[in-house]
Amino acid sequence: MNRRSFLSWGSAGVVALGSGVGVSLGAVVRFLMPSVFYEPPQVFKVGTPADFAFGAPTFLVDEKIFVFRDREKGFAVASAVCTHLGCTVAYFQSDQRFHCPCHGSVFASNGSVVHGPAPKALQWYEVTLARDGQLRVDKDKVVPSSYRLMV
Amino acid sequence: MNLIREIYQSIVRRDPLSTDKGKSELVFLNVWLHIHPAKVKKENLKFKHTFYLGFITFFLFVILVTTGIALMFYYRPYPPHAYQDMKDLQFVVFMGPFLRGMHRWAAHGMVVCVFLHMCRVFYTGSYKKPRQFNWVVGVFLLLLTLGLSFTGYLLPWDQLAFWAITVGTNIGSYAPLVGGKLREILLGGHTVGEAALLRFYVLHVAILPSLVILLTVVHFWRVRKDGGLSRPIWKLKTNKPEQLVTIGVPPQTAPAQVVAASQEKTYGLMEVVTGKPIFETVDPEEEDDAVFSYPFAFFREGIALMATVTGIMAISLFFHAPLEELANPAKTPNPAKAPWYFLGLQELVSHSALLGGVVAPTLMVLALLAIPYFDRNPSRRPSERKWAIWLFTLFVVANLVLIVIGTFFRGPGWAFVPPWVHVVAGAE
Ligand code: HEM
Ligand code: FES
Repeated sequence: MNRRSFLSWGSAGVVALGSGVGVSLGAVVRFLMPSVFYEPPQVFKVGTPADFAFGAPTFLVDEKIFVFRDREKGFAVASAVCTHLGCTVAYFQSDQRFHCPCHGSVFASNGSVVHGPAPKALQWYEVTLARDGQLRVDKDKVVPSSYRLMV
Repeated sequence: MNLIREIYQSIVRRDPLSTDKGKSELVFLNVWLHIHPAKVKKENLKFKHTFYLGFITFFLFVILVTTGIALMFYYRPYPPHAYQDMKDLQFVVFMGPFLRGMHRWAAHGMVVCVFLHMCRVFYTGSYKKPRQFNWVVGVFLLLLTLGLSFTGYLLPWDQLAFWAITVGTNIGSYAPLVGGKLREILLGGHTVGEAALLRFYVLHVAILPSLVILLTVVHFWRVRKDGGLSRPIWKLKTNKPEQLVTIGVPPQTAPAQVVAASQEKTYGLMEVVTGKPIFETVDPEEEDDAVFSYPFAFFREGIALMATVTGIMAISLFFHAPLEELANPAKTPNPAKAPWYFLGLQELVSHSALLGGVVAPTLMVLALLAIPYFDRNPSRRPSERKWAIWLFTLFVVANLVLIVIGTFFRGPGWAFVPPWVHVVAGAE
């Protein structure tokens, strides 16, 4: 084998080996990315408007949301997941604020950060009325805190 | 009788241990012992040089593997069952609490000892040439140890586990660009759920322990190939170049810098036997100091092993591993704390998630990795490396202070509460 063919066969070999390794690594990463999520759905129904009281928000444990109902303004749904590191915040009627137990973030009742390490306001989700008269929350649709559903 | 002798001799082929040849052959011919040199420097075996911390770390790891495998007989990595299995281990399984205790306390102990071992190596300047790379291997072992503790923390699936891992993995998601995806891969989902438990389990029982074993083998091999343990500080003498002989290097090419490092090395008979060693430089004067590994080194290592095992067993008899309520994604305990060795990190994160949770730890690890290449001062004498010692001490103290604050001074809502103030839970 002469020098020239050694070099060309050699570099072809290196390229083939390299791409083989690259593709395999990519396949491993893709394998690790879940294709199906066995998690609660992002869109769900939470009950009829009559289920919710006026005034203090209702905390839905499994969905991790607060449902606000106001006599004049209607329904709004806030996320209970702290934007800092994902602990579940609690709403205190006494000062009308959300408090996070983990690192002390405090959010105003419109979700904006009052203080604490949290970098962003709490999210508000779209809430609509489904055909069957139930409230339907879509966690994939983030809305401004002024969003209200009048019923 | 002859048959029995024949069988014995087919297994043990060395000469009697009363002879020097027998003592050497014990080491050479045994796959487990041959990582040792046949002879070691007596002074290097002194407790006050290494505190045997590397060995203790290794023995704790052995305890963890053993008790861990035992626990696997009764543990299913699936959300509702995982917690029930923990309860079973606690109340039903014979010696279950003892096993869990041993596994838990050895895990905490390993984190402590690996850190102390790193401090010992630093303060004795043992990361210097030719040991730079072994320090790097060590840093990866430290990270793997933390990774093992972290993944193990989720497995009981109680409140403590669930929230520590929720908070811990969210820290990672602050990493720019890849953060969110990384968390998704680690958890196999968007929240800590059944997929996360299974992934943590696989990491904890298969992947990370294999990596630790792999790197430990490299680590030990390198200790040996770097010329054995470094010389204790008190054995460092002023340079006397003329008296040194470098084995395997023609005399005239023996460069000056080999001489400077020479007092930090021991050499083993085996290297001399098998030909050219890589680094060995021998001070003829110090030869008297060498003793056979059997029994001197093996005896001391045996003591360290027994002390570690009995220590962990004794603690486990009196203190049981904690188990809180079943994990409840809806109810965050107040305050929610990560495992103690991450509380320094959590303290930083409580000020800024990106700076404290991603930038600071990354810089810390990079700094640790860079130490042996950045510190160009060849001297190992503490009086000649004051700056290095001050900086490292600052690093250690800063870490400890943050951990102490996070552990003892943070109450509900992560408010600053001195430990002597009685906190009424939920009083807000
Ligand atoms: C799983 C973790 C580890 C194990 C099992 C381990 C084990 C050991 C053992 C048994 C020794 C022999 C001497 C002694 O007992 O001190 C040793 C030496 C050494 N270790 Fe580690 N180690 C670990 C982690 C580390 C870390 C985190 C570092 C530093 C970042 C490190 C750096 C070194 C160096 C440079 C030496 C040579 C010291 C000398 O020659 O005096 N090791 N290790
Ligand atoms: S998770 Fe809410 S303040 Fe950190």
